Amino acid sequence: MKKKKPIKKKPFLPPMSLSYEGTQASKTGTWRYLTPTYLNKLAPCNEACPAGEDVEAAMVLAGQEDYLGAWEKITQENPLPRVCGRVCFHPCEGACNRQEFDQATSINALERFVGDHAFQSGKRFTPPQEKKKEKVAIIGSGPAGLSCAYHLASMGYGVTLFEALPELGGVLRYGIPAYRLPKKVLEEEIDNILSLGVEVKTGARVGQDVKWGELKKFDAVFVAAGAWKSVPLKVPGEEAQGVMSGLDFLQKANSGQTVDLGQRVAVIGGGNTAMDAARSALRLGAKPLIIYRRTKEEMPAWEEEVAETGEENLEFIFLSSPVKIITENGKVKGVECIKNLLGPVGKDGRREPRPIEGSNFTLPVDAVISAIGETPDFSFLPEELRKSAGALPVDETGATALQRVFAGGDIVAQPRTVSYAIGSGKKAAIAIDATLRGKNVAEALRSAHWGEKGSLSIALYKKGGADGVAPEVVKFSDLNPDYFKRQERKPKETLPVFQRPTGFSEVNLGLSPATALYEAKRCFNCGVCNLCHNCFMFCPDLAITARPDKQGYQINYDYCKGCCICVEECPRGAISVEVKK
Amino acid sequence: MKKLMTGNSAVSYGVVLSRAQVISAYPITPQTTIVEELSEMVADGRLPAKFIRVESEHSAMACAAAAAATGARVFTATSSHGLAYMHEMLHWTSGTRLPVVMVNANRAIGAPWSIWCEQGDSLSQRDTGWLQLYCQSAQEAMDTVIQAYRIAEEVLLPVMVLVDGFFLSHTSEPVDIPDREAVDRFLPPYRPRYKLTPDDPHTFNIMADTSLFISFRHEAQKAMEGAKKVVARVDREFKSHFGRGYGLLEKFRCADAEVVLLTMGTAASTAREVIDHYRRMGKKVGLCRLRLFRPFPGEELIKFLKGMKKVAVLDRDNSLGAGGIVAQELKAALFCAPRKPKVFEFIAGLGGKDITPETIQKMMEITLNNANPTGAPMWLGVEE
Amino acid sequence: MNAKELLGEYLHSGHGCCPGCAMPIIIRTAFQALGERTITVITAGCFGTISGTFPTSPIKLATYNTPFASTGAAASGVRAALDMLGDTTTTVLAVGGDGATFDIGIQAVSAAAERNDDYIYLCYDNEAYMNTGIQRSSATPWGAWTTTTPPSNLKNQPKKDIVQIMVAHRVPYVATGSIAYPEDFIRKIQKAKETRGFKFIYVFSPCPVGWRFSSELTIRLARLAVQTKVFPLYEVENGERYILNEEPEGIPVSEYLKPQGRFGFLREGDMERIQENVDREWQRLISRMERHPT
Repeated sequence: MKKKKPIKKKPFLPPMSLSYEGTQASKTGTWRYLTPTYLNKLAPCNEACPAGEDVEAAMVLAGQEDYLGAWEKITQENPLPRVCGRVCFHPCEGACNRQEFDQATSINALERFVGDHAFQSGKRFTPPQEKKKEKVAIIGSGPAGLSCAYHLASMGYGVTLFEALPELGGVLRYGIPAYRLPKKVLEEEIDNILSLGVEVKTGARVGQDVKWGELKKFDAVFVAAGAWKSVPLKVPGEEAQGVMSGLDFLQKANSGQTVDLGQRVAVIGGGNTAMDAARSALRLGAKPLIIYRRTKEEMPAWEEEVAETGEENLEFIFLSSPVKIITENGKVKGVECIKNLLGPVGKDGRREPRPIEGSNFTLPVDAVISAIGETPDFSFLPEELRKSAGALPVDETGATALQRVFAGGDIVAQPRTVSYAIGSGKKAAIAIDATLRGKNVAEALRSAHWGEKGSLSIALYKKGGADGVAPEVVKFSDLNPDYFKRQERKPKETLPVFQRPTGFSEVNLGLSPATALYEAKRCFNCGVCNLCHNCFMFCPDLAITARPDKQGYQINYDYCKGCCICVEECPRGAISVEVKK
Repeated sequence: MKKLMTGNSAVSYGVVLSRAQVISAYPITPQTTIVEELSEMVADGRLPAKFIRVESEHSAMACAAAAAATGARVFTATSSHGLAYMHEMLHWTSGTRLPVVMVNANRAIGAPWSIWCEQGDSLSQRDTGWLQLYCQSAQEAMDTVIQAYRIAEEVLLPVMVLVDGFFLSHTSEPVDIPDREAVDRFLPPYRPRYKLTPDDPHTFNIMADTSLFISFRHEAQKAMEGAKKVVARVDREFKSHFGRGYGLLEKFRCADAEVVLLTMGTAASTAREVIDHYRRMGKKVGLCRLRLFRPFPGEELIKFLKGMKKVAVLDRDNSLGAGGIVAQELKAALFCAPRKPKVFEFIAGLGGKDITPETIQKMMEITLNNANPTGAPMWLGVEE
Repeated sequence: MNAKELLGEYLHSGHGCCPGCAMPIIIRTAFQALGERTITVITAGCFGTISGTFPTSPIKLATYNTPFASTGAAASGVRAALDMLGDTTTTVLAVGGDGATFDIGIQAVSAAAERNDDYIYLCYDNEAYMNTGIQRSSATPWGAWTTTTPPSNLKNQPKKDIVQIMVAHRVPYVATGSIAYPEDFIRKIQKAKETRGFKFIYVFSPCPVGWRFSSELTIRLARLAVQTKVFPLYEVENGERYILNEEPEGIPVSEYLKPQGRFGFLREGDMERIQENVDREWQRLISRMERHPT
């Protein structure tokens, strides 16, 4: 019996060779050995912000003129944009990729603009719906304490803020002069935080007015008392009338008290406190003389501060150190100094100033302000935590040796800046919440970092980690600058110099709305898909289409040949390449 | 209506009556007056068509083929070197199964230069997939152009209509021009199944790979074989419409012939006189004019030549190293025939050398007076 | 029109172009700009080769393959037929590579231009006979390696100036395009569509395989060619009115040549010579603009 052969169906053959099907059956994806994938990445500004802000997202929204949206993004992490936008040393700008193209984006000025705009538009914090039963005590109402209070209150905790001085703000009020941070702005920002339901006790010095034992009724304590002791000059005549520490002087000046500085005042030091003191002294009618032991290049004060000091024509004497305060009848008459030379690099990585024998010289002054450093005062702390000098020791979660007692801000070993303080206040809030909710604190903190090296984010903490964003930081070489036009950063608008010494009016005038939008649009939006359509337009294989939710694009790997044009032409580096196995 | 006109002019009238829509042609002696007359006819409105004055024959065929692919009825004309120049396009047109109609004025291909009649130009293109119909008179030329569109549009293969250069293209005779309406009844408008249109998009002439190319060729072969019947039928229909028909083979005094002279084109007209002369002498001779050369009517010839003793083939062409092409095709067709005549091969008239009654008489003498052919073609008219 | 607003797609995925090839990007964009009532005439070359193997084709528009030298003539035939059949709105687009346009097919293109036949001729130039394996064409630039200009005998003639040749025919519209400038390219295609008569659009088409560069750099090279003034973007109307579309700062031509392996055999002094040529050609172009101010 013959086996029947299977009937092969004849293909339809028109008389001439013409197509009647598309080429979809040819899965050219098999050609691929490099696979592009959409992967949003970390922008360097996010990693650099000590306050842990989602700078990138805020800039994107500002660039779309959604300033209120940008404000919400910022204040999710940092309740004080109007403060930081005026006083932060903006490491975000230092990390900004745009500086390798023309100049960094004006993130700092934009933060201020967004903060001011939101306030003027009536935007305020909304108290949380649910309240938790736990209560937390915060010692110190400086930036660290305020930040911690804000985050804990937002999470529904009861917060009591203990402040030794008559008013809230810590270094924000008593350290930074009004021409940098107007008191009204500070008060508005603080009131906003307090409106979440924070209890405040001013004039309440822990260790004196409030016993440490009273704090035991709280479920947790955050110590953020700052560093308010001045490092002494250690020269003869230091106790004379007319010699004061920079902190004391600023505290008085910022409280509106009059300080008699005479005609000329020597300001010893090269840091921000020295600059603040000198410029405040100028505005109080004295002529300051800034004496610093190294050169201008080594001054630890921020460049902008030094520049503005220069604009106000303040006199500097470099490579000089005071050796004696000359007094007459117990009052300051002058200061004797010695010239220095810079020796080799010392332990701290900076060149040691060495006095030159016999180079002494005297300057006639009526007052001396010494601003050569600050340290914390530990005397108010319980025995277990007391120290004589240095910083309050804490572990990597910010916890002290005492259970449920955390510390942050200038009192612990961290860079002494407002934004770091705000960051550490947030860290404490996260640590306290994790502790009170029974989570693994160290793990909770680890998952909430911006990338490997960045500060903490409340948003990431709440999400339990970054979802959809890779921890790798976008470098300038990951971007495609062909899609950006050179646009010069607009120079800062400041109060004309001749107007400044007449009072404590704000020197930096901020951005106009037109300039703000211009500056916001300069942000590259590193690492995040901007729906610019390049990948879609340039795919030779039509393998890229819009996602159904229109929030991005998708690659059809059946056809993607791995040419990687999309990777190259993504202006923001939001597409990565994997070697296909 | 009867009018005195040249062969070329008759072609032009045929094109007008066929309502060709796109003409792309390049002038070449002796086809030039076709191009010129059609230009005039387009210009004065007798022929509502687009006339594209292309810069070469390759472009002429490319243009005509593309226009046909788009669904228009097209026409072009050429000769010798022009036909050779468009050789690639001839293959392309038949491979695309396009019903292009072209008139070729038979002329020798150089070198050396020659502008005069020879049929080797079209015969050497016999492998390109075009039907070939050889005409003898201006009337036949016009009629065959009209018939060609019917044939081409049915079999979907292009058709070449041949007229002898100068002998037919440039000589005049009275031609009966049929009524336009009568032609419209015979030749309906061109309605292709597949054409270039955004309403039914396809990509034409995409590559056929090793498994399928042969199938396309096979389909074309079947179409070509079936074309013989179509040519015969169309000719019968034409006869019933217009009273004139030509068939695949035109036979003259062949009913009881024992020796037949086989040739194509105008040489047949001259030959008739000689046949008459031999008949008067009592010889049983006849003339067969081969009209359809491609597809080669082998079956018909086998049947026709069954009773014949000898056939003398007059080739107005030569395939160097092989012999006259008509003779070769005939011999190949006769190979399997149960009864075949002896084939006497002759080559004459190359490069326009006159084929006179004397030439043909010489052919007949050799054929009648020799029992067997020598096996090699005899060349007539070579100056020794 | 913004590239983002074009919605139609007239090519399928699954075609056989090399990874990173500029040509499908060019064709895709041109098709999007023209829309579905377009008939395309194509020929041998990279585009013809990927146009399909029976019964599939990646092209969704009605398309006709014609032999190599005949693109210019075939498109004229399609246009004539459409007009005779009463369709005056369908656009006819002829597409040819540099081989089909500069060399084997230049005769037919020139004839169609001289007759001012109404269609768009789009030439994509990858600067060699790429489909048959990187042999030199008259579009190959001076100093480039190809398989027929090996290192010991690099291309020693300047690139043929096809734009000037087409301008000399005084056709209504001639324009150059680069896919790194998609909006400019789309505008030109649409301008051509709205113009009656013969239109010549000449597009630069970087080829990763033939020019020896890594496939992701295609768009970058298309941009660099414009920015280094190697491939200026301009339009010429009626053979007279020159419009310059992009006035680049002028980066050194070495930026454009360096990523390409085909220029890896230049000898000492060649780079400078190329820069001189680029500068001279640019000046020549600018001087034409000054003579015919817009």
